[in-house]
Amino acid sequence: MGIVITVTSGKGGVGKSTTLANLAVGMADEGKKVVAVDFDIGLRNLDMLLGLENRIVYNVVDVMEGKCNLNQALINDKHSKNLFFLPASQTSDKNILDKAKVKNLLDTLKKEFDIILLDSPAGIEGGFEHAIAYADRALIISTPDVSSVRDADRVIGIIDAKSDKAQRGEEVDKHVIINRIKPELVERGDMLNTDDVLNILALPLIGVVPDCERVISSTNLGEPIIRDKKAVSGEAYRRISRRILGEEVEYLDLSVKKGFFKRIFG
Amino acid sequence: MSFFANLFGKKETSASVARDRLKLVLAHERASNSLPYMEDMKAELMEVIKKYTKVKDIRISSQNNQNIDILEMEIVLK
Repeated sequence: MGIVITVTSGKGGVGKSTTLANLAVGMADEGKKVVAVDFDIGLRNLDMLLGLENRIVYNVVDVMEGKCNLNQALINDKHSKNLFFLPASQTSDKNILDKAKVKNLLDTLKKEFDIILLDSPAGIEGGFEHAIAYADRALIISTPDVSSVRDADRVIGIIDAKSDKAQRGEEVDKHVIINRIKPELVERGDMLNTDDVLNILALPLIGVVPDCERVISSTNLGEPIIRDKKAVSGEAYRRISRRILGEEVEYLDLSVKKGFFKRIFG
Repeated sequence: MSFFANLFGKKETSASVARDRLKLVLAHERASNSLPYMEDMKAELMEVIKKYTKVKDIRISSQNNQNIDILEMEIVLK
């Protein structure tokens, strides 16, 4: 039986889909059968990050509406036979999903995959609620800035109140990923550090991804940065993938002085 | 930031200001956002109380006292 992991943030543009694409590749590389589902209905994006935009025939809404079967809509990754992708629809009708259909889809996916990664839309409206409703785990992505942390906090509150697990008296397993941290700014006292963010959100950490210019070109190419063995952010994603799967992995040393970061870029 | 201010950690950094501002704003927001069922619950409570007496308003506030979450309800009668 697979588990459903929702990647969410509240605020848009903090790197939710990028993170999801990388972790999907990372866990598939670790030997898990992974499906990445774009739940940002109406605003399809994950396809381009995975470089699979030319292969889309059917989408997740078609599956839920019974217009095609699951295997017709699933797209296998170019490089990894373990990784599949289910694209978002581009209809703007937000009311197209209902909770029963979402549950039905996820129950089906759980039978075929080890890991079901859901890309939630930004915001806290209907689409977001569908994405968190049946989550077993949630990865909250936040950048170290006030608006992102504030929105992350809000989202955490909503998961604790509205998810199916919460309503049954259980708890969704939640972890924080801090994205785009700039060690030199942290050192100077001009950026919130990891501890600040964790203290405020009161959740355990599962990864810190340093700000990395290579991510931009990897997005341009549709090749997740995790496949770039030289990129420090790629290494961060590889470690997070292993942590999600239960392994204890050392954190990257992101200190400016003599750490890994400096050795790579110094 | 001068070398000495840095050395003695006297001067406030922008990150520490951000941290304090966030803590303040979230303390306030959590109190009002953590109970999304509040409005529905209020409406239902109103219905129940109306069966027995005339009620004007219900005020519910939440408090966190160390490890105990408390909901305080004030029923204002007509």
